[in-house]
Amino acid sequence: MASKVLKESTRLAGLAVSKNPHHSLTVLYEKLLKTLDKMPENAVYRQQTKQLVEDRFKLVKSIQDPQELEKKINCGQIEEVIKQAEYELILSRKMLEWKPWEPLISQAPKDQWKWPMA
Amino acid sequence: MSFSSTLLKVGNLTCRNANKIPAMVNILKSNLHTTKIILQSQSPAVTKNPVTAPTVKKENPEQKMSLTQVGQYVSQCLPKYVQLAQITDSNELEILIHPEGIIPVLTFLRENHRTQFHSFVNVTAMDVPARQYRFELSYNLLSLTYNNRIRVKTYTDELSPVDSITGLFEGANWFEREVWDLYGVFFSNHPDLRRILTDYGFSGHPFRKDFPLTGFVEVRYDDEVKRVVTEPLELTQEYRKFDLGSPWEIFPAHRAIESSQTGTTATPENQQKK
Repeated sequence: MASKVLKESTRLAGLAVSKNPHHSLTVLYEKLLKTLDKMPENAVYRQQTKQLVEDRFKLVKSIQDPQELEKKINCGQIEEVIKQAEYELILSRKMLEWKPWEPLISQAPKDQWKWPMA
Repeated sequence: MSFSSTLLKVGNLTCRNANKIPAMVNILKSNLHTTKIILQSQSPAVTKNPVTAPTVKKENPEQKMSLTQVGQYVSQCLPKYVQLAQITDSNELEILIHPEGIIPVLTFLRENHRTQFHSFVNVTAMDVPARQYRFELSYNLLSLTYNNRIRVKTYTDELSPVDSITGLFEGANWFEREVWDLYGVFFSNHPDLRRILTDYGFSGHPFRKDFPLTGFVEVRYDDEVKRVVTEPLELTQEYRKFDLGSPWEIFPAHRAIESSQTGTTATPENQQKK
């Protein structure tokens, strides 16, 4: 295990170095995909997020070296990628309650967005 | 010229240019101290350490969406709340949403992989009394990951409360207090919704269009009670109706015509009364 941890710090305040990024990413992505599967299939949020998560999950499964994985994912350090997955998991669970894929609640009243008025 | 073929020495600088020498001598004589500074800056000690590391994060063209794409993406993902997504004249992205969608839309923008607007800039409002919902709220966000900015706009009136976003962005706390203080927009679930800018005991919301420029009260020091007292506003000047017409005869020719048309003013009876 010790050989995997190569860096001392992420150099970002409050973000600790992950000891086993592959494990935490796998757990998060599996939970995330499970939550996304509960959404209707035509929801754009589900399609887009699923595509992104599956792409990243494939990389996590195929590449063992964390530094190389960082380069391939190309969205910050691996700790940041974990953080992004955590946020997305919380969001997707809230999305199930909000159901934002439903049709628009109501249009704005007339002249609500008109500017200047006169 | 006598210097044409000579080697000229001024300070530490040597120059060997036949035609430009006379001009250069003048410059160098007048600015000897500046030439020394120039020479110092060319010394190897300074030039050896150029700053090469960039101070900004590298952009990632594969993952970064353009503002138009962000607008389309947000409106497709959240069709329940987004009424319109538009790019303004100054190339800023605006998302116009239904007031119920403030929390969902801002949470989505903050926590989604492709947007990541983690940095909260401000909340502000605008009062347009002619509209059905007179207050327009706008939330400005910044994505540090993708270097994008976004503005989310929504609307409300004096009576309908708006969800507070302090649970999402701590920094919104004081901004919402400011909007409450100046416009009177009520934020539900705000932890500490007090006035923030106006004086103790102030009533009213000064940025509303129906709030008078002079305010409702004035303060003065009262020598008898030995303290500052607040009293209802009393304008020192009575209300006056200004007669803006000039007392001078500007167009005497017109005046003659008017009196001849009316006719009645010049009757002999009136003249006798005078």
